[in-house]
Amino acid sequence: MRPILQIVSLLALIGLTLPSIIFLAGRMELDTVKWLMLLASIVWFVAATPWMWKDNGAEKQDVT
Amino acid sequence: MDIEEQSQQTQSGSEFEREPVPKRSLLGFKSFIGMYAGEHCAGTELMLGPLFVAAGVSAFDLIMGLLLGNALAVLSWMFLCAPIATRSRLTLYYQLEKICGRKLVTLYNLANGVMFCFLAGAMVTVSATAIGVWFNFKMPGLNDLYPNSVGWVLAVVVAGGLIAIVAAYGYQTVSKFANVAAPWMVLVFLVFGFVGLRQFIEVTNAGINSAGDLWTLATTQIWKGGAPLEGQVKFTFWHVTFFAWFCNMAMHIGMSDLSVFRFAKKSWYGVASGAGMYVGHFMAWISASILYAYQLHLDPADTDVLPGPLAFRAAGLVGLLCVIIAGWTTANPTIYRAGLAFQAISPKSSRFRVTLITGAVATIAGMFPAIAMKLLGFVALYGLVLMPMGAVIFVDFWLIRKFGLQSYYAELSGKSFNWAAGLAWFVTLATAWLLVKFAGIQIFFVSLPGWFVAAVLYIVLSKFYQKKIRPA
Repeated sequence: MRPILQIVSLLALIGLTLPSIIFLAGRMELDTVKWLMLLASIVWFVAATPWMWKDNGAEKQDVT
Repeated sequence: MDIEEQSQQTQSGSEFEREPVPKRSLLGFKSFIGMYAGEHCAGTELMLGPLFVAAGVSAFDLIMGLLLGNALAVLSWMFLCAPIATRSRLTLYYQLEKICGRKLVTLYNLANGVMFCFLAGAMVTVSATAIGVWFNFKMPGLNDLYPNSVGWVLAVVVAGGLIAIVAAYGYQTVSKFANVAAPWMVLVFLVFGFVGLRQFIEVTNAGINSAGDLWTLATTQIWKGGAPLEGQVKFTFWHVTFFAWFCNMAMHIGMSDLSVFRFAKKSWYGVASGAGMYVGHFMAWISASILYAYQLHLDPADTDVLPGPLAFRAAGLVGLLCVIIAGWTTANPTIYRAGLAFQAISPKSSRFRVTLITGAVATIAGMFPAIAMKLLGFVALYGLVLMPMGAVIFVDFWLIRKFGLQSYYAELSGKSFNWAAGLAWFVTLATAWLLVKFAGIQIFFVSLPGWFVAAVLYIVLSKFYQKKIRPA
């Protein structure tokens, strides 16, 4: 299951970025880019959460 | 176990808080790459990028300044911080305590906590600008110092209140969420840049057929240079370089990241900080600055630096989500850290209550747009305030014995306040203040001479201090 989720997550990140590159090339409307990004973002959070859910430990500065 | 979990353990006091990290717990290079890339792509990048444009930066100065400044920052991690961390393998605070004594470390914690509070306030401000897009209330302008509408105050209260409550209750959950969001957020920042660039191409009818065309667009339309906007300091190549170098000064030259790199197998792992610098402090700043330059291009009178509307124009709902998540996931640990710093001063007080109070202070700070709108100056101040202690640690570790003096003097003498270190800190800050106030040197540049002032002072003062009360 994990490898499948990782592949889907990777595809979601590609789906997030690729429309903006096509837009940069002048071959896509901005509204379409925005919708595709939203879709890719949803897929990313659904697919990546199960295998990436771990501590970020942002308190890397030990202040105690 | 990765570096974050290791630090988490340390935070809770279960492992290595007051002992060197043992060999079996050392971590590989990859752990540091991921941590730095995520850590330095924060909500405040959406303020800093536009503020460069507001400061009238030119394309050459921005690109070359960021390349050089970030390289210097990475070198500072590699050659100042990591070598000490991998030799002593102690947390910053334990190392400081050995040198300075418990009371001086407490004072350092207080300074650190206050700075974290204001930084978190700026992050809350960033999040609140996203709420403004939905509810369309009046938001602060570039030169506003005080809250300017009831809607703004309410938005900050909601954003800051939620962040504070979550930080107090469920810090770990947000931390885990931040881990998931980090790669997504980095790419949304990249998208901001692509979209902004295309919008510029369309609005200027520029034909881009080569790198030369792109550079012409950058120099003539995006980062045109010239006079800064009203109330802003003009940024040159040197401003950008020093800002990029010193914006994380507290962490590299100031040695906060001793706590991170004590887990590194080799000191060259410090190069991993480059992942954070060139993603967050290069790509993200450039992307955010393009969005703001586009806004100014459309309407030169619209000088407001509001990450919410900027991101919404470029990426719609995803842009807004990015602003909220970037602000939230970075403000949350910052409030938590500030809470820990304050709690260290009064260990018996409840961490929950301290974090809530800290969050409330950060929220009040966030209502005042002055901090976010003057973030360039504030970040420089943040580095400056904590930097002298980094110089003290450097001298104590590498040099002080060459002068016939003791390192870890507080530990050896049993002193709770090493006056040589304390005075080196205070006098350096006073000197920096005098240089800014009376010598006309801008705050971005005083930290470099300040480091040498602190280093020399610590040696000279130790010569007197240690001679007087040297232990038998």
